[in-house]
Amino acid sequence: MGELAQYLVTGVGLGCAYALTGSGLVVIYRVTRVVNFAQGSFAVLGALTVTTLLAAGLPHGVAEGLGVLLAGLVGVLVGVVATGKPGTTPQAGLIVTLGLGVFAYAVEIFFWGDQPRSFPGLPGAVGGIQTHYLLIIGVTAVVLGATALLFARTDLGRALTATAADPYAARAVGIDVVRMGLFAFAVGGALGGLAGVLITPVQQVSFDSDVALVVSGFSAAILGNLTRPGLTLVGGLLLGVVQALVGGYLSTAYQSEVALIFMLVVLIARAGRRDLVEAA
Amino acid sequence: MKWAYAVAAVGALVLPVVLAPGQLTVFILLGLSAMAVVGLSLLMGYAGQVSLGQAAFTALGAYTSGLLSLHHAPPLLALVAAPVAAALAAVVVGVPILRLRGHQLAFATLALQILLLSVLSGAQWAGGAVGLQGLPYLSVGGFELDQDLDYAYLVVGGVLLVSLIAHRLVHSRVGRGLRALATGEMAAEASGVPVGAYRLLVFAVSAAFAGLAGGIYCFFLGYLAPGSFPVLLSIEYVVMAVVGGLGSIAGALLGAALITVVVQLLTSLATQPGMPSYAPSVLSYAVYALLLIAVVLFVPKGIVPTLRRSL
Repeated sequence: MGELAQYLVTGVGLGCAYALTGSGLVVIYRVTRVVNFAQGSFAVLGALTVTTLLAAGLPHGVAEGLGVLLAGLVGVLVGVVATGKPGTTPQAGLIVTLGLGVFAYAVEIFFWGDQPRSFPGLPGAVGGIQTHYLLIIGVTAVVLGATALLFARTDLGRALTATAADPYAARAVGIDVVRMGLFAFAVGGALGGLAGVLITPVQQVSFDSDVALVVSGFSAAILGNLTRPGLTLVGGLLLGVVQALVGGYLSTAYQSEVALIFMLVVLIARAGRRDLVEAA
Repeated sequence: MKWAYAVAAVGALVLPVVLAPGQLTVFILLGLSAMAVVGLSLLMGYAGQVSLGQAAFTALGAYTSGLLSLHHAPPLLALVAAPVAAALAAVVVGVPILRLRGHQLAFATLALQILLLSVLSGAQWAGGAVGLQGLPYLSVGGFELDQDLDYAYLVVGGVLLVSLIAHRLVHSRVGRGLRALATGEMAAEASGVPVGAYRLLVFAVSAAFAGLAGGIYCFFLGYLAPGSFPVLLSIEYVVMAVVGGLGSIAGALLGAALITVVVQLLTSLATQPGMPSYAPSVLSYAVYALLLIAVVLFVPKGIVPTLRRSL
């Protein structure tokens, strides 16, 4: 029983990282219609920055906070390049973010080299479970809760939702649609950065970890068709737990394939109903 | 534009003789990329689909040739089996995944490639993560292709074959149907274009081109590993196709040549004494990224179609 509980907590912890990455994709996609392929790069950049800040002697907490902040700023930059030029279609935006993800490789190798890195998280264990996983779960709950409040209860959040629903009408009532898009990229970047900062103590990060992260995030978000934050959280947790169970009881070799197969199944199952979805 | 083709043809015939051995390897790899990119460009330009998994078909072709020739199949048969296997695989996965659009297909193809790589690195029969080693040279009726020069001309032939097939396809009934499909799927379908079948055909043809490139690659290098076909290779193909111009055969060839040459120049610059060890990878990633972004934003049709219109 202890073993099962351990796998469950580990899985939920991993799932939180997927849910955060996926939520970043959702926030950006809803407002700008761009599927941000560079979403995994935010996590890698954030995490690598924290390794440097910690090495420079900054205390825990401050370093992590700055890493997330940097990821948010990078998010704005990605947004400017991917959506700033008038007339850029979301399809072109996807290719541009793909390019930016590759550009991030150049930056990351330049500053941090190509070897995997990590930093210590919250030490200790409670009942055989690393305390750090509990930290991941707690922080994710607070942050996703706050994000939901931001969207539901503030004027800024309503403006973002309005832009997502109908950019033209939003502009007509005086909402700066481009600015809202950039704000969405900032939030998406920070969520991605947070995922990286939280997961790195339990899972090393290197410059090319971004592909696995963005694929897992996308798999989580696809359950809600990239537009529903609640289903993204469910998808992320589901993936994390199934991965942990597969890794624990079957073989760690098949762990990362779980997300991929899950994604393909959801996509293909949904494609049958695509015409209905598009018409709606 | 005629003179451009003439220059390219003369270049392709003369270059292998005058290039230094190291440069000849680059020439061969360029040609192999070009074959895969012609296919990808057809797929992206005519079927309007982003595929981030084209290198999976290169890998399939290479492993097909490699496994067959390790099990003592005649090398020529092993080479021919490469595009066939890749096309068959494309038909099998194409039926479900070609119902997806845009970013969904992009992620689905990416997922398939990662899955294939992890199956290959876990499979005993495929040599696992170490891959296949000690593969024989290609030989045809007692004549063994054991010089780089042989492979250079084989690749030139391969590029020519692939380009001709693509050209025929584009200028056939299928090609016209596909063009109609690209401008308006609903209208094309209403006019009786078998949308699904044509899309599957382009997917299979594009996979076959990549598979043939993989087959030649396997005989040229003599060893294969899952790491030879990373996700980044698929992204490189996309960069080459987009930069040259989607849907344009000449664009695919130019894109492959341009990117390979620029990256090669920068790599030789970056490996000069005194340059830091990370310089080659940093520079090549930066070049892929910046060229891709600049072309998508400022030359959205790609170089060749844009030039063609302004000439």
